[in-house]
Amino acid sequence: MPRAALKPLWSGSHIQSMSLYSAHSQAPGLRPPPRSLAHSLRDAHRRSELVHVQQPVRDKQETVVKNQVEKKRAVNTQSQQTEKTARRFSPDTFPLRTNQKEAPHSHIFTSVAAEMAMTPKVPEVRDIMRIERIGAHSHIRGLGLDDALEPRQVSQGMVGQLASRRAAGVILEMIKDGHIAGRAVLIAGQPGTGKTAIAMGIAQSLGPDTPFTALAGSEIFSLEMSKTESLSQSFRKAIGVRIKEETEIIEGEVVEIQIDRPATGTGAKVGKLTLKTTEMETIYDLGNKMIDSLSKEKVQAGDVITIDKATGKISKLGRSFTRARDYDAMGAQTQFVQCPEGELQKRKEVVHTVSLHEIDVINSRTQGFLALFSGDTGEIKSEVREQINAKVCEWREEGKAEIIPGVLFIDEVHMLDMECFSFLNRALESDLSPVLIMATNRGITRIRGTNYQSPHGIPIDLLDRLLIIATSPYTEKETKQILKIRCEEEDVELSDEAHSVLTRIGMETSLRYAIQLITTAGLVCRKRKGTEVQVEDIKRVYSLFLDEARSSQYMKEYQDSFLFNETQTPTMDTS
Amino acid sequence: MDAVVEHLTEVEEAAEDVLTTKQQIVDLDSKRNKNREALNALKTEMADSEKVKVCFGNMFIKFPKSTTREMIEKDQEQLEKEINDLHKELKAKVNHLNEMQGNPELRGYNLSPLSTGEIKAMNSIFKI
Repeated sequence: MPRAALKPLWSGSHIQSMSLYSAHSQAPGLRPPPRSLAHSLRDAHRRSELVHVQQPVRDKQETVVKNQVEKKRAVNTQSQQTEKTARRFSPDTFPLRTNQKEAPHSHIFTSVAAEMAMTPKVPEVRDIMRIERIGAHSHIRGLGLDDALEPRQVSQGMVGQLASRRAAGVILEMIKDGHIAGRAVLIAGQPGTGKTAIAMGIAQSLGPDTPFTALAGSEIFSLEMSKTESLSQSFRKAIGVRIKEETEIIEGEVVEIQIDRPATGTGAKVGKLTLKTTEMETIYDLGNKMIDSLSKEKVQAGDVITIDKATGKISKLGRSFTRARDYDAMGAQTQFVQCPEGELQKRKEVVHTVSLHEIDVINSRTQGFLALFSGDTGEIKSEVREQINAKVCEWREEGKAEIIPGVLFIDEVHMLDMECFSFLNRALESDLSPVLIMATNRGITRIRGTNYQSPHGIPIDLLDRLLIIATSPYTEKETKQILKIRCEEEDVELSDEAHSVLTRIGMETSLRYAIQLITTAGLVCRKRKGTEVQVEDIKRVYSLFLDEARSSQYMKEYQDSFLFNETQTPTMDTS
Repeated sequence: MDAVVEHLTEVEEAAEDVLTTKQQIVDLDSKRNKNREALNALKTEMADSEKVKVCFGNMFIKFPKSTTREMIEKDQEQLEKEINDLHKELKAKVNHLNEMQGNPELRGYNLSPLSTGEIKAMNSIFKI
């Protein structure tokens, strides 16, 4: 039942049923967009427009439903009672309008309209809302923990790694409660043991309101920006600031506009504007300025408008349903909305969450927010940052802002060099610091840019500040389970034997290679018009594509025939 | 079972409370709008020297214009204050209801709003 269709029904007793409580706890269309590690920038701007206040877009279907609801109401008093109970859970005088269309590409901020309002509960688990390309970790929905933080063997796309998931869960709770900030966590383990998956799980379970920024260690090396600048921008993307905007608006349906023009053609115009809601109706006297902006907006009787009290800005929300039959010929853009409920003069409170980086950007450049789009933010002066820190702290003192320390995830952290590590050391001590999560698959190796060896390629002094979570290789059973999940994710049907064979391959070569084979085998299977991947398909792709071990074996055998071959270096050198 | 009924009753009462407050705000706003209309009428409709008829309950009494205006203005101030108080109360009540229903508390609810100047500065971020 669309919320807006619920009219206030006042008198009389009512029946309360328990199910109705939950019926409203999850409003449709309020799903935040999914998140992917690859889009770290998008992540930083946590864009999940929860509620649209000013642009009600309703499609025809909803209109039909509404009309039906209204008809029903006329005949059925029982339904009146149900509706009343349902209305109870939106005790906002300012009706919250949801706009499904805008959610996916939605905007940078979480804006919650809360005019004395309860916002609908945001679902904990993020659902995929649009068709996204299948990524390596697209099956991860969370950490797979129960309420007591005990990891379930297989849940939310996570398999095994119980100890590390539990550890991550503890850290997650601390982040959610805001207990830790300026701490750092290192996820260390062999390749293909689910380090990135755990980080993704943390990101997914944090919810839409906690900033999460992800980057890979090598992303910071750029010619345009210094390494530390790039790092500090990421740090500031991971810190959110929550602020509230409060406006007084007049919202109502225009009953009549009456404008008297002086006979001479010049001079002040005077007029009257009659506005109504479902509860009341009143007449406003209009001045010259107001008349101008009304005619500029082409406001006519039957429109639903809002007037910002402070600025006098008029915006049209749409046409009232009751006037739907005034004209037959109507533009496609004409939106129909319900006549507003409650009082005419309303108070609207909107909560925005912005990241410190966004505030930096608009303040550091003359062209302002355009820089946010072009991506060319350039370097931001440290004075600007200091000023903004001071302002934000002042707001916090005055109770005008809340600071939400988010999470900065750096994958492949061994790619950072000594300068970056010492910067991290210092940045973690700042009072506006997010939780830093790093992941690496290196053992004892050289720190980049030096000749010193250190565990994980991270200097000992930084290691000392970290909470370290270790991941361990998957067992055969877990590998099998992961392959099964991936098959579902990639929409490939696998026969039991093929599944066992694939698991075997996964154990002997690597999990990543086995996962690669799923899609390719699926293609081979489709080519021969089969419905289920058989052992033959797996064999075929196994012979078509080499795994790492076979490829290096081949190299060793035939290295003489390749160009520029040299005597073998013992290990790969990344620094 | 009894506990469930009791809890539901409590929730119900809290919800009823929220609705009552909201209706009260609506009623007060309607009164405020009527007063505003009256003030406008006093300003534009007639000469200053005239006396106006003011309706008290079911009785019309003639009053000098200036006294009437003062009276209404005072009333208006009182109304504004009351509506403000009700808004504040409503916040607490909605929070209470949320808590009883086990819903999470609203985020950023207790923040004080930014001033208009500050909002203007931030607007370029919001409007994207």
